[in-house]
Amino acid sequence: MDEVTLIRVAQHGDLDAFNTLVLAYQNIVYNTALRILGDNELAADASQEAFISAFRALNSYRGGSFRAWLLRTVTNACYDELRRKQRRPTTPLEPETEDGDEVETPRWLADPNASPEEKLEQAELEHAIQHCLENLPTDFRAVVVLADIQGLDYTEVAAVVKKPLGTIKSRLARARLRLRECLQSFRELLPESFRLEEERSL
Amino acid sequence: MTTPSFRDVELLSVSLDGQLSQAEKRRLESRIQLDPALAAALVDLRQARAILRRTPIRRPPRNFTLTPKMAGIRPPVPRLVPVFSWASAVAMLLFAFTLGTNLLGRLSFGAAAPLMASAPMTNEGSGFGGGPAATQPPATDNTQVIPTPETFVMTAPEATSSGETRLVAPPEAPAPKATPEPVNIWLYIWLGLAAVLIATALLIRRASVQAFRRKVGGKHNL
Repeated sequence: MDEVTLIRVAQHGDLDAFNTLVLAYQNIVYNTALRILGDNELAADASQEAFISAFRALNSYRGGSFRAWLLRTVTNACYDELRRKQRRPTTPLEPETEDGDEVETPRWLADPNASPEEKLEQAELEHAIQHCLENLPTDFRAVVVLADIQGLDYTEVAAVVKKPLGTIKSRLARARLRLRECLQSFRELLPESFRLEEERSL
Repeated sequence: MTTPSFRDVELLSVSLDGQLSQAEKRRLESRIQLDPALAAALVDLRQARAILRRTPIRRPPRNFTLTPKMAGIRPPVPRLVPVFSWASAVAMLLFAFTLGTNLLGRLSFGAAAPLMASAPMTNEGSGFGGGPAATQPPATDNTQVIPTPETFVMTAPEATSSGETRLVAPPEAPAPKATPEPVNIWLYIWLGLAAVLIATALLIRRASVQAFRRKVGGKHNL
């Protein structure tokens, strides 16, 4: 069954059809939540919430990009989670050792197929990106995650965050500038190719 | 080298995503060639975007597929279940009504007992609300001979040493037999009917839930 048919069948209450859509989109939904929230468990909770809300509100979907519609649900779930997080004491991004120290290169960041050097590089890059993303205002963060990490076009991003195209362009430019400044402080952590490119540009 | 304005940065950012018109793109490119600050800003933006695109994609820790419970899907209620439920409710109401009228009847009978004691009972009603007649023992059994001064007879003076005359009571009447009070049959009928209806409704519901679980449970690990 193609996506349109699955959506139509799911709109009539077929859970199997909806779960097929869940399996197709859970990666992008989870990774979007993870980059906006910066926390594994919160991202998983927000993703689950988003899929539950999506199933219940499926009849309000009136065509267009289903990915954008689903990402709007997860973005809203993330905003809710961030608001809740502001009212609660925060927990560190990194896991802690038994002594309460942060684990510098957490095992949960590792890709099992990568070499130790690659794993370290990936982990450091991810740490730097996540740190810089979290320094952005939430609205900027959502835009840059959707456009640059998830690869949505401007129209889709505008549909997700419900803002005009001009606002999306402006927020994306500001977010990229701020991220560039922030990432420069992690210069030694960036992949070698980026450092060389940077040196060439100087 | 001057710092580019935010408007220029925005144009550069949009051009990276190929969202400028051909005319805008040509204008910007000619400016970039003349202004090293613009060229540097473009490199910065391109690098930021390239780094973000290298953000590792993480596998979700679990599947987010929904179970019927999470989706709020409940087993359908068979049409007969509400019928049986309402019928059992009506039976329970009738049971309560019968019980109530029975109790009221007994209370009113208890209050009137001294009066009725002197009058023979002839009313023997048997409707399902007719408590007093049904629960009342036969009048003949209930009529006690209460010793009064008039019933005492002056017996012949016994030959006593003191020569006094004594009042002697007549021989006592036999004590009334303790007969069990008859219970209104309708109480049993309504209670039994309500129990049967409730049990039937529960059985139908259970069969429906089991059928629903067989249908969706295998797929969703219910």
